[in-house]
Amino acid sequence: MTAPLQYYLLLSAALFCVGLFGVLTRNNALIFLMSVELMLNAANVNFVAFSVYHGNLTGQLFALFVIALAAAEVAVGIGIFLVLYRNFGEVDVTVPTTMRW
Amino acid sequence: MTTKPELDLGRHLLPGIIAVGLFVVMATLVVRSSFGDPTGFGGVGSVTAAIGFALFDILGAETVPAGTEGFLAAFETIAFVLVAALVGGVTLARREVEGEVVTALRSEVDRRWGPEQTDGGSPTEREDDAR
Repeated sequence: MTAPLQYYLLLSAALFCVGLFGVLTRNNALIFLMSVELMLNAANVNFVAFSVYHGNLTGQLFALFVIALAAAEVAVGIGIFLVLYRNFGEVDVTVPTTMRW
Repeated sequence: MTTKPELDLGRHLLPGIIAVGLFVVMATLVVRSSFGDPTGFGGVGSVTAAIGFALFDILGAETVPAGTEGFLAAFETIAFVLVAALVGGVTLARREVEGEVVTALRSEVDRRWGPEQTDGGSPTEREDDAR
């Protein structure tokens, strides 16, 4: 009836690695934000899959909280990128280097 | 001339290979592992209703599946975090125009430039002439 747990874990691993690929190889800050979102959603898939596997709802509730945290993170992130765009004229993460070290 | 998307190799090659390699490692681990049958949510009528009960700490054998914890404290914490993010967003959106602070809610500049300037654009030529 339900798909085996391995399928969910494979999907989750693929999502996470797509997100990691985006974070490691892109310079655009907005693509960074989307990639981090993909990684968070990979965690959500795992939470829900293991919630069914263990038969209690803690995982599903935790996935809800991760979604809410992701919304908060995006709100602050886009605010930061607006300031970035205003000061540098682009949203390239390699340009602002003042606070790197 | 049409262009096709090109792979940006070079300094991004190693991080990309690392990400793909991580997927290969994780996929191998997952495929080789074995899990039993899922337990499922037997005995609880509606999973959505049970999530609502657990969110507000209404726990019991007839409301939520065994082992589910209450999440009322986390719920309130997330509410606080969301408000903090909202305030942070408004604070970050503040900007200065000619030495005066312009926020999303209040602006001294708007009164001088007129309400049509609230989109942050520059004055048009006709308005310059009128002034």
